[in-house]
Amino acid sequence: MATEQELSDFLKSVEKRAFKRSVYHVRNEEAALDIVQDSMLKLAEHYGDKPAAELPMLYQRILSNCTLDWFRRQKTRNALFSSMSDFEGPGEDGMDFDLLEAYSGPEDGERAESAEDLTRRAQIFRSIEAEIAELPPRQREAFLMRYWEEMDVAETAAAMGCSEGSVKTHCFRAIHTLSKALKAKGIEP
Amino acid sequence: MNTVQTPSSQAEAAAERFALRVTARLSSGTDELPYDITERLRASRMQALAKRKKAVAPARLAAPAVVHAGGGSAALGRGSHDGNSEGGSWWNALVSAVPLLALMAGLVMINIAQDESSVHDVAEVDAALLTDDLPPAAYADPGFVQFLKTSAQAPSR
Repeated sequence: MATEQELSDFLKSVEKRAFKRSVYHVRNEEAALDIVQDSMLKLAEHYGDKPAAELPMLYQRILSNCTLDWFRRQKTRNALFSSMSDFEGPGEDGMDFDLLEAYSGPEDGERAESAEDLTRRAQIFRSIEAEIAELPPRQREAFLMRYWEEMDVAETAAAMGCSEGSVKTHCFRAIHTLSKALKAKGIEP
Repeated sequence: MNTVQTPSSQAEAAAERFALRVTARLSSGTDELPYDITERLRASRMQALAKRKKAVAPARLAAPAVVHAGGGSAALGRGSHDGNSEGGSWWNALVSAVPLLALMAGLVMINIAQDESSVHDVAEVDAALLTDDLPPAAYADPGFVQFLKTSAQAPSR
């Protein structure tokens, strides 16, 4: 059985990645935060007594289900209030943030250089993020679970509810698409 | 075979390296999330941990709660507050079955008593018939029945 400290450490280790993955999926930071919160609550409420080794798999499953639930709710809501949702701005994660990043800091020479590095790094990061967000959902999910969450093929297959062959195919296609897209932008990760 | 496998495994290794470079970039970018988001994630984590406590606490209280809930019916016999919920529920089931058993026993006894009294009545009638001066065969005689009817009508006149 996982102690409270183990559960806390586990959640701390996955929360940022979980948030980012949800953002790539739902493209809305608020919704992603809600999804992560829901998934954490569900994990703690229902599986808080499970051994610490089982938590990563359980959490991936819960996170996927919470994301799916969000999409279902969204579908219903959009069906009911389709015209209202048109007025909701899409752009918290759009231009404002980019500007802030771009204009933060270049004051003196030394800092300007590091700021240049910082900006370039941030740009590469943002390009990679954008390309990942563009991937088809299943490919993205397989790629991120396999390489970011460092799960093996079998674990990824179990978490996604598909065969190991499908996971390999999804990963291969995701890598292929990403490398092609990043090369086209002249980015070497 | 080897010449065919080597390039593909090399390509796989290269793809893997590429994927790991991409995710390393993602990790380094993700470490610098805005303060408000990291705070909200922290708050969510705390909330989840608090929920876990609550989820564990009722499990510990479950046994006494069950005994307490069963206390109403167990009051007929004796309250088993020893914390052994399995034994307690067995005892409660037994105790709640007592009124039912009493009802069944009562019904059986009433049935037996009624059977006995009806047998007793029949026996009394038989005894009266047999000990009477009139032989029982007389009642099967149509002439005797006619005699009884006329003799019954005669005094009323």
